[in-house]
Amino acid sequence: MTVPRPYALLAELTYQCPLHCPYCSNPTHYCRATASVAARSGRRSARPTTADAVDSPVLNGELTTDEWQRVIREAAALGVLQIGFSGGEPLARRDLADLVRAAREANLYTNLITSGIGLDDDRVRVLRDAGLDSVQLSFQSDDTDLADEIAGARAHQRKLDTAAKIRAAGIPLSLNFVIHRRNIDRLPQMIGLAEMLRAERVELANAQFYGWALLNRAALLPTREQVVRAREIATAAKARLAGKIDIFYVLPDYYETRPKPCLNGWGQRYLTVNPIGDVLPCPTASSAIPDLRFENVRARALDWIWRESESFNRFRGTDWMPEPCQSCPQREIDFGGCRCQAALLTGKASNTDPVCTLSPNRARVDAVLRDLNSSSNQIRDWTYRVNPKMVPARV
Amino acid sequence: MRTITIADAAQPRLGRGVRLQIDSTTGKSVLLFPEGVLELNETAQEILIRCDGRTVSDIVLALSKEYDADPVALAADVRETLADLQQRKLIELA
Repeated sequence: MTVPRPYALLAELTYQCPLHCPYCSNPTHYCRATASVAARSGRRSARPTTADAVDSPVLNGELTTDEWQRVIREAAALGVLQIGFSGGEPLARRDLADLVRAAREANLYTNLITSGIGLDDDRVRVLRDAGLDSVQLSFQSDDTDLADEIAGARAHQRKLDTAAKIRAAGIPLSLNFVIHRRNIDRLPQMIGLAEMLRAERVELANAQFYGWALLNRAALLPTREQVVRAREIATAAKARLAGKIDIFYVLPDYYETRPKPCLNGWGQRYLTVNPIGDVLPCPTASSAIPDLRFENVRARALDWIWRESESFNRFRGTDWMPEPCQSCPQREIDFGGCRCQAALLTGKASNTDPVCTLSPNRARVDAVLRDLNSSSNQIRDWTYRVNPKMVPARV
Repeated sequence: MRTITIADAAQPRLGRGVRLQIDSTTGKSVLLFPEGVLELNETAQEILIRCDGRTVSDIVLALSKEYDADPVALAADVRETLADLQQRKLIELA
């Protein structure tokens, strides 16, 4: 099999985050004994605390500045053209500007995926001068109270300030809204916020159920009625704002009949390096597919991991596919869907994504939808995301 | 989708946050933008490297000289390519 070249690297710099969004796709159990997750629970009882910028030195076995710079150079040599700095909250890393600079020196397009907490005037300037190409800023809603309740922190007003600073510095701004049952009815207002902030792009992404989001699925999954209305609103806004704001609507896949073409195929275009240096074909793979062993950049060159490792080759191409995928005319359109979703919902990563109506396991998805849509649209409790415990690095 | 007409006097430029560069793996031109990569065909590449403040008519003129091509047919190609890029916010028209 000829191995393709990757286009984009997702650099998850840290799992520390000042927000506690229940839809987070980060693992609920952090890597290798770095955290015992004692989940704070409760929807209304959790009073939002002020979101403080997390300022971590290198913790919990996270990669060092030198190690990340080497990963960036190796990724560029492998063909990567874009890097997304993510997490957790990447601003929690004080060396972020050094990493942006390294990425620009390697000719990569640099995108910061952030909550915006911790991005003061000085830092915006430093990042711009380091060559940052674009910022994707998350919002939880357009409404302050609801947004802060979702984030589990008083963050919304600070995000509005941050958006203005990003604009003032002349850095292109994308907004990201994760859509779920509690905010989906405010889609028009959220699009309005993007217009007001003069964002270049808006991602309206229905929650995908991995990590914390899967744990909170009963509270997050929208009803069929909500989904139908949201799609109409997004479609109309896309047409109305064409050429002005680029709107990207991520479908709620449980309500689809065919699976999403996850990652454009396993090990085809994307790779993720997590905070401790594990290299993943998909950011959620380490928690969703426990029987897959992932390689680490401390032990192996990125080139070898991409081309040769078992983890990148297990689901590459179409040979691994079972029926009904193997003989399906769509097999090179949707690649059998998402391996993580197959593992999480059917117990086996090589199964057809159960979202597909041709999957023998589709009944599992239907049961979830039936349960939700037959009950009243009640508000259910969720569990807020918590950070890994701070374990000082042993030097 | 709204149809956008591209005027002869419009001055296309790369959109904010959009980079045009050579992909060192393939040697071909690509547009890089937030969360996306667009591999350019030769027509798009030749148009985009001329999006430097010139008007659409000047770009058509330059290309028709360079490739010894019929300016009328070329103008239609250029407009179609620019309209597509503009819809995707990859270029701006001044």
